[in-house]
Amino acid sequence: METHCLKRPTRRQFLSSVAFTILAGSAAPVMARSISGSLPWEARSADPPVQVKPGGWLFFTLEEAQTMEAVADRLVPADELSLGGKDAGCVLYLDRQLVGSYGTSSRLYTKGPFMPGLATQGYQAPDTPAQRYRSGIAALNAFTRDAKGGKRFAELAPADQDAVLKDLEAGKITLPNKVDAKSFFNLMLANVMEGFFADPIYGGNKDMASWKMLGFPGARYDYRDHVSKHNQPYPLPPVSIAGSMEWMTR
Amino acid sequence: MSKILFSPTLAVTALSAGLAFAQAPDQADEIIRGRYQAILGDCAACHTAPGAKPLSGGLPLETPFGQIIPPNITPDKASGIGNWTEADFRNALKNGIGHDGKRLYPAMPYPAYTKMTDRDIGNLWSYLRTVDPVFNPVESNQLPFPFNIRLSMMGWNMLNFTPGEFRPDPSKSPEWNRGAYIVQGPGHCGTCHSPKTVLGADKTSEALEGTSLQGWYAPNITGNSYIGVGSWSEEQIVQYLKTGTNGHTIASGPMAEAIQASTSLMTDEDVHAIATYLKSTQGGPAQKPQPIPASDARMKVGAAIYHDTCSACHGGDGKGANQLFPALAGSTIVQQPSAETLARLVLQGSQAVHTPQAKTTPAMPSLGWKLSDEQVAAVLTYVRNSWGNAAPSVGASDIGAQR
Ligand code: HEC
Ligand code: HEC
Ligand code: HEC
Repeated sequence: METHCLKRPTRRQFLSSVAFTILAGSAAPVMARSISGSLPWEARSADPPVQVKPGGWLFFTLEEAQTMEAVADRLVPADELSLGGKDAGCVLYLDRQLVGSYGTSSRLYTKGPFMPGLATQGYQAPDTPAQRYRSGIAALNAFTRDAKGGKRFAELAPADQDAVLKDLEAGKITLPNKVDAKSFFNLMLANVMEGFFADPIYGGNKDMASWKMLGFPGARYDYRDHVSKHNQPYPLPPVSIAGSMEWMTR
Repeated sequence: MSKILFSPTLAVTALSAGLAFAQAPDQADEIIRGRYQAILGDCAACHTAPGAKPLSGGLPLETPFGQIIPPNITPDKASGIGNWTEADFRNALKNGIGHDGKRLYPAMPYPAYTKMTDRDIGNLWSYLRTVDPVFNPVESNQLPFPFNIRLSMMGWNMLNFTPGEFRPDPSKSPEWNRGAYIVQGPGHCGTCHSPKTVLGADKTSEALEGTSLQGWYAPNITGNSYIGVGSWSEEQIVQYLKTGTNGHTIASGPMAEAIQASTSLMTDEDVHAIATYLKSTQGGPAQKPQPIPASDARMKVGAAIYHDTCSACHGGDGKGANQLFPALAGSTIVQQPSAETLARLVLQGSQAVHTPQAKTTPAMPSLGWKLSDEQVAAVLTYVRNSWGNAAPSVGASDIGAQR
């Protein structure tokens, strides 16, 4: 673009050409248009989530998966209220999230500057969740091998596992390779809870176990028939985005 | 079929052009009346493609025998009907015979237009002369052998077609006669709503009793109080034809188009006349069958799916929400003998009609991704047999075709 008028751009030329590039850049993807008559609509349009099916790990190695299953079973232990985090599919949920956009932070701004933020600002470092699990689990197992007689986290007795998790949460443990123990614990806790309470379509919350435990009605969005029925239990069983046992035709 | 076509600019051109070559002072009136005939007959529904110049040729029509394309009927001499005479035009509408004796296929609804009066056809012709001529050659005949032989229509016409103007019934009111004239003649309602013979002709003995239209079911619109408009008041029929909604139902698909381009633009008197006539007709099953009991296995599954999936919009009691979500309880659309429209709505979704009085265009979402054919059949069986509704069960094999 070597033309003589551009050689010594005046300030005005510069500004207006910036304005032009911004316009050009933003006009292309946005394409504002005015709509009159009916709203735009297409038949068969739906962008549904795909039902996660068990079978093989897509992100985790076997050892990583076993570690996470042990963690999930301590964060959500099986008891008289519900099954445990492992059987509820929390790790299946996590595995599929980590190979998706969550794992790669592909929907987040991930460029610098990287500075320690306030607690309210959340995670501020450059690593994606996928990288954090890879290094975090390795660091956790390296720590237990070192401190607990050569055993991996999954090989510890439940009481020992609880103790390690409590120390992680409290920041009392220093993990190798500069993994921030507290922040890795919080990541695992948040994701295991998501797996336990999210719609079963994403791989966790097997048979809507957590929803049955809470009496949460699931993927429903209209309660007009029930708002005025005070102090009466809601009669309908929970339902997933993908349906429920009651929908089975055979 | 396309949306609304008679723009104000067109009307102005029509008027000025008409006045320009008008000798007689009432030529403008004639053109205005002719333009109204084009609305009654909804010529644009077939002869104008979406976004194209008015009447310059339409989108292919699917017929049971193959595709046929509505031609250019603007006054363009080379590709339209610019070198036709009024007599040629009359011959096409009244006898299904085009220029040079070409036999027209009844995809052009001349079996209905034949009932139009000479005066109405004359006015329509005056109007068509004022439409902007557009050069757009169209080869209408896309039919496979042997249907592509136009002469075969001669035999078809001998068997299936009685030419002749509408004869008023002197024992009925002028309003009834006007309604009958529009429904049987220019409005060609039976083209969609009457069952067809194997040869594709309207079964006159079962007029307006409902039939399938490639993916939609045009319902029974006789005065039958089970599945026709018998249970609607005249006012509700009028409101439906004028606005597309009436608190019971919201029009979709081909009827939405017919309402937008034709019935909503008819005069109030004409729409009332149609309602009077429809309510006086009778046809279809007189007796409502026994509903399938709620204890039936399909009904139980259907109830679960309904309450989890549909009730948020259509209500646990099937009563809907006025102009926003149509009622399924007591709905005639829901209880037709065929569930074709219902399967389509659930699998593909549907957007409601748009008219000046009904601007919201609420849409039913496509649910095909979450329901199997068996589940769609179960939920439809349920809505067809709950809250006082009663209709034959729906089988999974009725659903697949609409995927
Ligand atoms: C349901 C669709 C439909 C509607 C509504 C319709 N037409 Fe047609 N029309 C056709 C088709 C299809 C053909 C071609 C028939 C053929 O080639 O055999 C046709 C052919 C014609 C022809 C013959 C043209 C030629 O070049 O041979 C004329 C004239 C015509 N239509 C006028 C009208 C007028 C006027 C109206 C409104 C009153 C109207 N049509 C409404 C479908 C329609
Ligand atoms: C192009 C085909 C077509 C034409 C022409 C047509 N209809 Fe319809 N009509 C339908 C379809 C399809 C439906 C069902 C709409 C729906 O499912 O929402 C319908 C629905 C209706 C209903 C509502 C019935 C109910 O139970 O909800 C009435 C009333 C009606 N039409 C009257 C007419 C009249 C009067 C004419 C002629 C002026 C006409 N229709 C012309 C296709 C057509
Ligand atoms: C998000 C709201 C919504 C949900 C959920 C929904 N519908 Fe609809 N439904 C609509 C709207 C809006 C229309 C009107 C669409 C139109 O006229 O084209 C409609 C139309 C219909 C009609 C046609 C009624 C008539 O009078 O024309 C039937 C039948 C129907 N729905 C059945 C169902 C069934 C069965 C389900 C569940 C499997 C369901 N709907 C779920 C909003 C919904």
